[in-house]
Amino acid sequence: MKTEEAVFRILRISPEKDEKGRYETYRVRIDSRMTVLDALEDIKHEQDASLTFRRSCRSGICGSCALKVNHLAKLACKTRAVTEVEKCGEVLVEPMENMPPIRDLVVDMSGFWREIDRGAPWVEWDKTLEGSIKENLLTNEQQLISSRLADCIMCGCCFSDCISRVFDKNFTGPASLAKTHRLVVDPRDKLGMNRVKELASMGLWSCTHCYFCWSQCPRNVRPIVAISTLRTLSFGAGHKSQGARHVEVFMNSVERTGMLNEAALYLKTMGWATLRDLDLILRMAAKHKAPPLFPQPVPKIEEIRSVYRLVREVKPK
Amino acid sequence: MKYAYYPGCVAKSTATELYNSTALVAQRLGIGLVELTAASCCGAGVINEGDSFLNIVLNARTFAMAESMGLDILTICSTCQGVMSQVKWQLDNDLKLLEKTNEALSKVNVNYQGKVKIKHLLWALAEDYGLEKLAQQAVQPLEGMKVAPFYGCYILRPAEALQHESHEKPTSFEQLITALGGEPVEYDGKTKCCGFPILFVQRDAAFGMAAAYLNNAKKAQADFLVTPCPLCHISLDLYQKKAQSQAGLEINLPVMHLSQMVGLALGATPTELGFSKHMVSMVNVLKHV
Repeated sequence: MKTEEAVFRILRISPEKDEKGRYETYRVRIDSRMTVLDALEDIKHEQDASLTFRRSCRSGICGSCALKVNHLAKLACKTRAVTEVEKCGEVLVEPMENMPPIRDLVVDMSGFWREIDRGAPWVEWDKTLEGSIKENLLTNEQQLISSRLADCIMCGCCFSDCISRVFDKNFTGPASLAKTHRLVVDPRDKLGMNRVKELASMGLWSCTHCYFCWSQCPRNVRPIVAISTLRTLSFGAGHKSQGARHVEVFMNSVERTGMLNEAALYLKTMGWATLRDLDLILRMAAKHKAPPLFPQPVPKIEEIRSVYRLVREVKPK
Repeated sequence: MKYAYYPGCVAKSTATELYNSTALVAQRLGIGLVELTAASCCGAGVINEGDSFLNIVLNARTFAMAESMGLDILTICSTCQGVMSQVKWQLDNDLKLLEKTNEALSKVNVNYQGKVKIKHLLWALAEDYGLEKLAQQAVQPLEGMKVAPFYGCYILRPAEALQHESHEKPTSFEQLITALGGEPVEYDGKTKCCGFPILFVQRDAAFGMAAAYLNNAKKAQADFLVTPCPLCHISLDLYQKKAQSQAGLEINLPVMHLSQMVGLALGATPTELGFSKHMVSMVNVLKHV
């Protein structure tokens, strides 16, 4: 098999020496099948025994070897080295983000686990079902959701690359919310919508739709879909929050004129907090940049309003 | 070249300079734009969270309009592009959902066959118009200008739905900048979030994102940053002063819409491009011209 020499630039961190760490370069001969984990093993055995990283199953099942390859969180065992070289010319390997490094590529995941725990990730058994011989059957839709979410291997890739988590430490993160959604659809769980009610305080509306949790999940769990669904449930149940208010005003605006009324969205969502931006509003007005307060409806607005009415009638179960 | 033009809401209200500069670029390049004036808002990912099926039906209605004209949809907003691509992807892969959607649309005598294509201006210029041809039109190339491309999120992810380029190492923006004579700069944050989607909910975090990535672009010596999304423009230009103040930074990095950058290279004047509507002054950029 054809092999080529590839450059691996690895962030080495020894907390007792240098908190920031340093990049060290290793050259490894790779072939088309070799994974980043294979190369790390190679470096450890052949070049530098002190290189520290986690690994276990080598099969994409345990989630231990999550780290950053060329700036994105991935499982080292599922990432082909040659693909990374073709893309970036080298393989830059760093520890995951949003979790403090312990040594080299190993991070302290206790913050991640605390967030998972915040969502009470267990079935709260409905005691009224005790002694019942009735099965707790899932609908087909519940099964599809459960099955996808249960594929999560808790590797931390989504948590690492979550941008909201970088800037909002109260945001519980994608994995925790995906886990919560799995329990919300579980018919054995007595908490159900009470779980959703708690989520506003855990940052349900802080997700910024960056879609990194979708792209970086090695198991295709798509946590953002769970987050969006939880938001829909929260909004539908009438739970009060700034995020739900934003959705309500947005939807009403489009029903009224077909387009988004930016001024109304801003004023109605922000309320008195608008005053914080008074200086900006005045500057916008001076530059003729302020959106109109009363925009005209688009042509065929009745068609759009009919769509709103019809969807309420024919929504799929 | 002719498209069913979907400018989106923001280009027609807060960011009219985007709408006008797109019209100017299209006119100079001979690109026909037939505006879908009766289309609704794409929902910006927000209607999806209020009612996901409503989000699908509203966008399918827009698709049907373009389909009946036999034209592809052209967007100038990454958020519109991302939301519409996701809806199209869902409908392409779920025939039952398409049927249910058409059942709702039939009540307003609309039917979507599933054939529409949706392209952002960034892609249309490269793939339909051609970068070589565009370079020949650049009478005022961006020579000596260092440009920070800000892709943001919706034009890249989820890649399955966008079906265009890898989100891990995108190149379309850099190729366009190079074709126009500019020098793209590399910086951390170009494929991250501008903060806009949570501006009304978690303002501090939103400002944190905007300030961090603007500052990275500035540190990479960028003369200006360019974005394919007017929502990013709101976060990065309109709120830049507040974001930098919260972060304790002096950034003052000019931010252009994609169409303004193309228009500048095509020889349009600052007045035609609406630079006076920006919050961060363009004066330093225009010195290069």
